[in-house]
Amino acid sequence: MSKREVPEINAGSMADIAFLLLIFFLVTTTMDKDTAYLRKIPKKVETEQPQVPVEEKNIYKIVINSKQVIQARDSIINPEDISTLNSRIKHFYTVNRDKKVDRALNYPYYAFGTKELYTNNLRNQENRLGALESQEEIDDKTEKMIEQTLMAIDKWQEKLDMMNLYSQYSGKKEMPEIAFEAHIRLESFVDTDYSAYVAVQSEVQRAVTELRDEEASALFGTTWTAMNRYIIQNELEDTPELRVYKEHTELIETLYPLRLIEVKPKR
Amino acid sequence: MSKFRNKDGKPAPAINTSSLPDIVFMLLFFFMVATTTKEIDPLVKVHPAQGVGVTDLTPFKQRSTVDFVYLGEPLSGDVSKFDKGVAVQYDGLLHPDGINYIGRWKMAKFNDKPAEMTDPKENIITVFKADEKVPMGIIFSAREILRDLDFNSIAYSASEMGNKNDYSIREQ
Repeated sequence: MSKREVPEINAGSMADIAFLLLIFFLVTTTMDKDTAYLRKIPKKVETEQPQVPVEEKNIYKIVINSKQVIQARDSIINPEDISTLNSRIKHFYTVNRDKKVDRALNYPYYAFGTKELYTNNLRNQENRLGALESQEEIDDKTEKMIEQTLMAIDKWQEKLDMMNLYSQYSGKKEMPEIAFEAHIRLESFVDTDYSAYVAVQSEVQRAVTELRDEEASALFGTTWTAMNRYIIQNELEDTPELRVYKEHTELIETLYPLRLIEVKPKR
Repeated sequence: MSKFRNKDGKPAPAINTSSLPDIVFMLLFFFMVATTTKEIDPLVKVHPAQGVGVTDLTPFKQRSTVDFVYLGEPLSGDVSKFDKGVAVQYDGLLHPDGINYIGRWKMAKFNDKPAEMTDPKENIITVFKADEKVPMGIIFSAREILRDLDFNSIAYSASEMGNKNDYSIREQ
């Protein structure tokens, strides 16, 4: 049998095909990424009990009117000076940090948690749970109390874990915790522009992110932004890094919580 | 004299183009990696608001846990037909009910997916992609509807400000 020669395939039109594909992708795709500020809408709660008003010092109130002029606490900020909000919010967070006496009166106070305090609280709640469960008759009221106690145990256990993590990395025995009521209250008008509202959101985000990044670099040597990005990108995988990062960001977010209340406009 | 004249009348040698496909394929792969597909053709004009420290939504888009709502002036048609001149676009449709349709749209989207593929309601983010001049009142009405339906994750769309340190806020 004679050896048959394989004819060479003409690849001259390959470039045309590739160009066609290239142009198709150029037309159907975009370069710009979608970016946004993620927020949560608080759940509706219906209670008859009157709410205890939050102390004035724990609120950082920002109002944007329909002319895009901003009032932050007592000062008026014109739209072109909006970037000063960043340092104002940082001041609100940090002015009383690490201070036990001689605190600025009009700003949120800090509590100082210790290992002993959290362990004690945890033990107290466990004793309470034991006492409740050993009761002879368990009626609805006791059941409710048991439920509450279990939640309290979870909360203190979580705090104790965070305290351990904090002292392990910082070497400090006390963890500064901002008043749990401290929050930023953002009020707007019906006619406030979206751009002005987003600009304030941006300043709030920037202030908190910078504080968190600073703290994270000091404690863990990486920024909160980097860890958070990793978590978002690899949320569905279960890597050991992801678990470590989740613990670390949780601690940082407890130290500098972003509590932003967006109030529905009335006018 | 004529130093450059082709003496022997031979034609110029052809350029070898056998590596042209390689080059074009390289470009093609670059664009495939660096770009994302367009969602839908916009029906409203959206000039994005500026901000710093924004979150990239690409990972959420890959998991398809985001729904986009576009708000702005309509590109074609009568502006005065819409409430406050703001048209609301849901998936290629400008609904005449405006923002009040958002609840029905979200529920339909949520129920359309097969049960094993749906994420819990709180994981699905509703992104408001609004023009800078859109009044906040509209977005707060949407927030109220979404809250009552337990879709409590939202996002305010903004483009990263980059180096220029200036928010574009309308002076009045």
